[in-house]
Amino acid sequence: MKSLRALLVTYAGVMPSMLMLVGFLVLPLAIILVFSFLTPGPYGGVEPQVSVAAYVKLFFQKDLYGDLTFNSSVLEIAFRSVKIAAISVLGCVLLGAPVAYYIAQQPKRRRNTLLLLITIPFWTNLLIRTYSWIIILRDNGLVNNFLISANLTEAPVKLLYTEGSVVIGLVYTYVPFMILPIYAALERLDAGLIEAARDLYASKWRSVTSVVIPLAAPGFTAGSILVFIPCLGTFVAPELLGGGKHLMLGSLVQMQFAAGRNWPYGSALAMMIMAVVLVCLTIFALNARKTGGGMQH
Amino acid sequence: MRLNATTNMPLNRLPESKPDLKKDKQDVVIPAIEMTDLCKVYSGETPVNALHNANLEVHDNEFFTLLGPSGCGKSTLLRLIAGFETVTSGNLKLFGEELSALPPEKRPINTVFQHYSLFPHMTVLENVAFGLRRQGKSERDAKMTAKEMLDLVQLDQYAQRYPKQLSGGQQQRVALARALAPHPRVLLLDEPLSALDLKLRQSMRVELKRLQRETSITFVFVTHDQEEALAMSDRIAVLSNGRIQQVSDPATIYEHPENRFVADFIGDANFFDAKIDKVDGEFTRYRLSTGDILLGPTTEARSEGAEVSIFFRPEKATVSLDLTGGLRGRVKDILYLGDSTEYRIYLADQSEISLKAENLKDGSPLAEVGTDVAVSVDPNAIRVLSR
Repeated sequence: MKSLRALLVTYAGVMPSMLMLVGFLVLPLAIILVFSFLTPGPYGGVEPQVSVAAYVKLFFQKDLYGDLTFNSSVLEIAFRSVKIAAISVLGCVLLGAPVAYYIAQQPKRRRNTLLLLITIPFWTNLLIRTYSWIIILRDNGLVNNFLISANLTEAPVKLLYTEGSVVIGLVYTYVPFMILPIYAALERLDAGLIEAARDLYASKWRSVTSVVIPLAAPGFTAGSILVFIPCLGTFVAPELLGGGKHLMLGSLVQMQFAAGRNWPYGSALAMMIMAVVLVCLTIFALNARKTGGGMQH
Repeated sequence: MRLNATTNMPLNRLPESKPDLKKDKQDVVIPAIEMTDLCKVYSGETPVNALHNANLEVHDNEFFTLLGPSGCGKSTLLRLIAGFETVTSGNLKLFGEELSALPPEKRPINTVFQHYSLFPHMTVLENVAFGLRRQGKSERDAKMTAKEMLDLVQLDQYAQRYPKQLSGGQQQRVALARALAPHPRVLLLDEPLSALDLKLRQSMRVELKRLQRETSITFVFVTHDQEEALAMSDRIAVLSNGRIQQVSDPATIYEHPENRFVADFIGDANFFDAKIDKVDGEFTRYRLSTGDILLGPTTEARSEGAEVSIFFRPEKATVSLDLTGGLRGRVKDILYLGDSTEYRIYLADQSEISLKAENLKDGSPLAEVGTDVAVSVDPNAIRVLSR
């Protein structure tokens, strides 16, 4: 009986977190997984009839004669999504790292204020914030009006409804998720190490690249993951700023559950996003282990 | 793991030294470091005057120590030399060249940091090679010199380890090898021994001194430990409240401190307020505040009746049960210290003095607590300071 008691004691402690994991992660995922193997109902929802049609539809389509032919459009969308998400991660690093570095250099009181300012955009609805980018980027928007009045261009430059505008929207939305983990890593960094590098003939820039960045690597990794995953599944920015022309996986999923009324297909797509994320993270992790092979953290 | 083998290392195993600036001007000895009226004020809501008009010369090839309690400005001085702090006013020269405007990476000066500050993401070898690489040496040359430096501190077999995998003493020696590898003109050491245990600290004292002799690099050593300073230094600068109190060799600092702070901070001292009673040639009679008379040396420019402060070191006095001469007192405490025994003695006015007697025989005390004793001091061991 002792072992049962021991088991109870062990599991009682982790019960809340187990419940949370089951309720918020395992259960919804299981529902999506089950849905993906069912048949679509006529007005959305699912019929309890097992089918793999949704997965077949990811890669094949029925031609005029009813035969299955390979269809690459979902793969193309997946590839574009990974590309846009990756570029957005890069944009977030380029924009977020200097901001994080700057904040980490400030006196303690000031740092907290600045961190609060970073989170201010979250106080406003994402849809509204994304709409305001339309006003900035459109043909007679802020940017183009400025370019024209400064005589830098005669006709407005096409900014809106491009992949570029999608990336801008994504970087804008997710850069705080990059800044915060990098800041956390930099804040822990021993300032003495930078002095040691400078003392050993490293220029300011060199001490950043050879000491600060390698030691803040965990922050960069965490930030990249936190930005990459939501970017991959996003649909607000591609819909509004991409004009629906630059479809991403998230938009595709959203379409299936709304206008498409094909829940199993949407669920299958969602599973595919997970697969893509897992593959990307694995590549990322393997790469990190190779380059940071010597890290003893 | 000891460093003893370093004595056998030929000097040419060290990286080449840079062209000697000193040879440009014959006969004129240019100090390694020269500061004139050097000031540092930390600005802020309440500006802190960390260093007041410091004037100091550190000679080439010297083991120089900055000694003082925490907050005395010694670390500020070191950071000014290294370039981590900017000079507020005054001049700071390295072998005759003004340093103030140069960033740390442009100064041929390296630092051994108090907490070592080894790069945790680099191996020991990479740590030691870092400065050499930044100096523009090829990876191969840098690694080779780094290996030689690790040899010098007897850590060659740890080259591929990470700093975390080493003990404190080993990390200390990696820090030393890393700072010495680029062969700086001046090596700064910021309380490098403070984190080590006593035995290791004592053996490192010997090794540091030895390394300084072998490398002929000027060492500027910062410490608050007076024993460390006395043991290792060619010369010591004592600092207090951002001012340099005295600059001298260890024996002079200990035997002839120039003011009460130095006398009090280095070693123990029994102070008395005294009045000059009678000058009698070589010796002078000093009347203590206790009423006792103490014979001490005659100092110039002080006449009878002048108020002075006199002191003697605990080990310069002897305690005796024969009450015919000297200062009368009663033993309050006896502290057995192993190599010596300390007697704390009440004088007539309830002031307390301390005496130290070497335990030459079996260490049994010369007197017991509560007994009346006489304390006699060699007149030549009495020091006189202005009040």
